[in-house]
Amino acid sequence: MNEKEVLDGVVGTLGDGRKVLGKHWSFNLRNDPKRLGFVLSRYTFCAKMGCAGKSVIELGCSEGIGTPILSESATRYHGVDLDGPAIETAKQNFENEKCIFTEADFLGKRFGAFDTVISMDVIEHIPAEQEGLFFRTVIDNMGEDGICIVGTPNITASAYASPASQIGHINLYSADRLASVFRKYFHTVFQFGINDEVVHTGYAPMAHYIVCVGCYKK
Amino acid sequence: MEKGKMEKERSKWFDVTDRMNQEDDVEFGRHLTYRMEKTPPQMAFFLSHYKFAAKLIGRGKKVLDIGCGEGLGTWLLAVECGFAKGVDFDEDSVGIAQKNWRDQRVEFKTADFMLEAPGTWDAVVNFDVIEHIRPEGAKGFLRRIGDNLAHDGICIIGTPSLESRKYAPDVSRAGQINVYAQERLEAEMKEHFHHVFMFTGNDEVIQTMSPRAADYLIAVGCRKRN
Repeated sequence: MNEKEVLDGVVGTLGDGRKVLGKHWSFNLRNDPKRLGFVLSRYTFCAKMGCAGKSVIELGCSEGIGTPILSESATRYHGVDLDGPAIETAKQNFENEKCIFTEADFLGKRFGAFDTVISMDVIEHIPAEQEGLFFRTVIDNMGEDGICIVGTPNITASAYASPASQIGHINLYSADRLASVFRKYFHTVFQFGINDEVVHTGYAPMAHYIVCVGCYKK
Repeated sequence: MEKGKMEKERSKWFDVTDRMNQEDDVEFGRHLTYRMEKTPPQMAFFLSHYKFAAKLIGRGKKVLDIGCGEGLGTWLLAVECGFAKGVDFDEDSVGIAQKNWRDQRVEFKTADFMLEAPGTWDAVVNFDVIEHIRPEGAKGFLRRIGDNLAHDGICIIGTPSLESRKYAPDVSRAGQINVYAQERLEAEMKEHFHHVFMFTGNDEVIQTMSPRAADYLIAVGCRKRN
């Protein structure tokens, strides 16, 4: 066999899959392609913290870009978002026997009792006066032994955010504020920072992105 | 450089050293001295493990450090978390710890943890301990940790990975009669805690990468089972 035949053999095992991305991720990839790397790395961290062998709900899943990572080791995955076209893209690209999607404004709604509730890049878009409703929704969708993972850009990084981000981010959190809200709802709260693709526990005001993991709900 | 200016800088430096001179000297015993001389990088990652634990535990907490040795990590926990107690059955090491760290935020005791009265600590940590406990005794050790935790207390355990042992020097492997692969540590922790989060360490970096390529394992258990 020559090199071409070897390579053809490899390509032959890949199948004929096609995915057409939606508006949101097409925009991101055209304007800031590195974004995909760090967004996926945040999902990888979520998956390591709370998806293996668990049922997972993602509140604010958009086009389901995190679905393959979150569902890889999960028993099932349910993505919810109020953006209709984004959910349509998610369904076309990622719906399968393990993963389902629902178009809905999740605030105040219950979709089941999940082991893990994940919400990345969502809370900064929710008005401060609805923070309580957001966390009650998280709790309502959680089983007795559930955990919650919320990630959001650090308020200390907002000066460096893109104009598009700055318009949408109406309720940015500091690490301390996010952790103190978590403590209202969970006995145990772990706080992490993420810069680029690296998760750490370093000096929180210099973290670009903040993640809280809550378990043992009150 | 002008003489006057040099003297000014010198006096500034002496302001610094005057403050430093008020501290008692810290003494390393045989364990930390060996580490500093023979495996100095180990000093850095040993401290990074304690720092990671301190960050997860948070401030205003009471922490029990099992197998504290000379207490350097216990002292880090005390400073970062608020209060820490170190126990170890090596009297010599505990003596060094007590001599070095005299502060209301920290205390040390020569004791066998398994024989101590239960408590209600916010966190129980132990690094480089469980690999020295016979596999059949590890379950009792984890249960005993649970007995020492408040209902919302957390447990943090660090131990070298099974995969790393073939690269470890003999002195590091000595006495390691119960080396864990990540899956076994996670499974045993889950028998005692509702929630278990697994991390991996390479050098000073603690993350969630594949345990196959990890030098060190850290398990965090929350919400103890009864």
